[in-house]
Amino acid sequence: MTDANQHEPLLLRVTGLTVRLNSSHGLVHAVEDVSFSLARGQTLGIVGESGSGKSVMARSLMGLLPRRSIAFGSGSILFHTDNAQEQDLAQMPDKLMRHLRGPAMAMVFQDPMTALNPVLRLSVQLTEPLRQHLGLDRQQARSRAIELLAAVGIPDAAGRIDQYPHQLSGGMRQRVVIAIALACNPALLIADEPTTALDVTVQKQILDLLARLQREHNMAMILITHDLGVVASRADYIAVMYAGRIVEYAPARTLFTSMQHPYTEALFKSIPRINDPSHTRLQAIPGRPPQLINAAVGCAFAPRCQYVQPRCRQQTPPVVEVPDAREHRHACFYPISPGLNREEGDD
Amino acid sequence: MTDKTPCQLRERDDIVLRVAHLSVNFAVGKQTVQAVTDVSFDVARGETLGLVGESGCGKSTIGRAIMQLPPPSAGAVIFRDQDMTVLSGEALRQTRTGLQMIFQDPVSSLNPRRRVRDIIAEGLTIWGRDNSAARVEEVMSAVGLDAASAGDRRPHQFSGGQCQRICIARSLALDPDVLICDEPVSALDVSVQAQILNLLEDMKARYHLTMVFIAHNLAVVKNISDRVAVMYLGKLCEIGNTEAIYSKPVHPYTRALLASIPDADPLAREQALLDEEPLLQGELPSPADPPSGCRFRTRCPYAQERCAREEPFMQAAGDDHFVACHFPLL
Repeated sequence: MTDANQHEPLLLRVTGLTVRLNSSHGLVHAVEDVSFSLARGQTLGIVGESGSGKSVMARSLMGLLPRRSIAFGSGSILFHTDNAQEQDLAQMPDKLMRHLRGPAMAMVFQDPMTALNPVLRLSVQLTEPLRQHLGLDRQQARSRAIELLAAVGIPDAAGRIDQYPHQLSGGMRQRVVIAIALACNPALLIADEPTTALDVTVQKQILDLLARLQREHNMAMILITHDLGVVASRADYIAVMYAGRIVEYAPARTLFTSMQHPYTEALFKSIPRINDPSHTRLQAIPGRPPQLINAAVGCAFAPRCQYVQPRCRQQTPPVVEVPDAREHRHACFYPISPGLNREEGDD
Repeated sequence: MTDKTPCQLRERDDIVLRVAHLSVNFAVGKQTVQAVTDVSFDVARGETLGLVGESGCGKSTIGRAIMQLPPPSAGAVIFRDQDMTVLSGEALRQTRTGLQMIFQDPVSSLNPRRRVRDIIAEGLTIWGRDNSAARVEEVMSAVGLDAASAGDRRPHQFSGGQCQRICIARSLALDPDVLICDEPVSALDVSVQAQILNLLEDMKARYHLTMVFIAHNLAVVKNISDRVAVMYLGKLCEIGNTEAIYSKPVHPYTRALLASIPDADPLAREQALLDEEPLLQGELPSPADPPSGCRFRTRCPYAQERCAREEPFMQAAGDDHFVACHFPLL
């Protein structure tokens, strides 16, 4: 499955990534057979509800999952470093992985308060990657850190750098987290719900900031969110995750104009729209997202799908390409095809 | 405090809840934080008022002040022709049964050690009303819970969405006039959020409820509200019917809020990249030391000298549409 990311060279190719975790309730099938690729400078939006496996996937890309919690892992994560070498991150020892985190790939987390160390000044937290990875001395690192703070839009960066995280607002803290992530100029930034904890006005500022920095550095980005609205206007490609699988993948515009998977459609229709009149009845999805404990038989969305057929409950639908549509894939036996009048399901 | 009746208060017979010149101050160390300052609004029977604003703007404080939890520092909360702020003890308890509240985190607002059936019956038992199994089951089935299977279970055995249903059932058991919802869906998954919003609409029709709906999500508020009040730093900026607020916002803050909403339309991308200039500059000022004059002036792109000097009062900006701004974007 290769994507024609025509202009930019390929940066990341994930194939058949599967992660199962140990938990006190049993085996958690967090990520199942996930494949996608990403070119330099591009943005992949990953949309899913809580428990859909999107954060576990992000952490496994970064090699941040504790080894002992992983019961089973397979698949490959091919990463192209600057000298065009291809490395499989899934096989990489932790020691080597450390050298990649920072200069090659970096991550921004949801909660900026817990992502920062509350007892260390910003200067310490910002200069650490610069000194570790880039080998700058104390003075160089400090002046570079001030530049970074200014670049992410923190006023009076030289004065702020000696403050502690609690002295900043939530939006400012997230800017600091972004500054740390960008310190070593990574080729890939993974942003896991970077604006969920923030107010809508601050959310726009942060997303605009990420878009600007991304353009300036030709950085690829994986933007993880539960809000279709956030990725709609900011991602080149969108992957919709449900129960650990990518159930639909398409260029952003294609996804919104011709969605194929019933879950994508249901998710889209359940969101209140700012342009709809008040008291518009929402099309809620019945039931709730599945627990990922132990393997489910059939399509994970079947119990909530309004188009469900007997076959959906017995077999797991494979990922297939949409005919005549480039780079549009879905995992559904009975995709939504425009013009085709679908019957309601058997129950 | 002015004695003049704020213009946004309506003279109608069917006003269920009226909040006038409400202020809530908190003592933080030696400082006083004005969480809510001189807020007035009313809610008519069967109406839903949406209360929106960023975190820290005082919207939840208003919800709690209506319930007298704690009582406001100044102002009046008139419910059933009675000012709740002068009531105390038994009289306050009696009146409060007509107002019920649901909260953001449904799991932590339920007692984990009690059965669902007992949680819902609690209010009925306290007030000596019909707490029979039949009554409890009626409320449970109204919110979509199966009384036979769910009644004897405890909250931890339910998902967040189901727990919110339990909270709604508990609040409806006492047959309140007014339901105050404080961010009832923000902790829920998007697919479940729609279920709860639809349920609230159904319950409103079935139990003839009047609602105050507090939320930060503007699309959610638009979906459920008849009128909307926009708050900034403890004050009301704009209030009016939902259609007017969303289609013709006249306060610069309301406009900035609406412009910040990400558009679920990929075609808007080009546009989004064009107007990348943030509409709101700077940081939310501290409510302990709010700016003089108009509180929004420090971040307002249209601020002028008068905004620092004079505090804007509410003025009419259209039919059932009021704004507190010296230079509204009419």
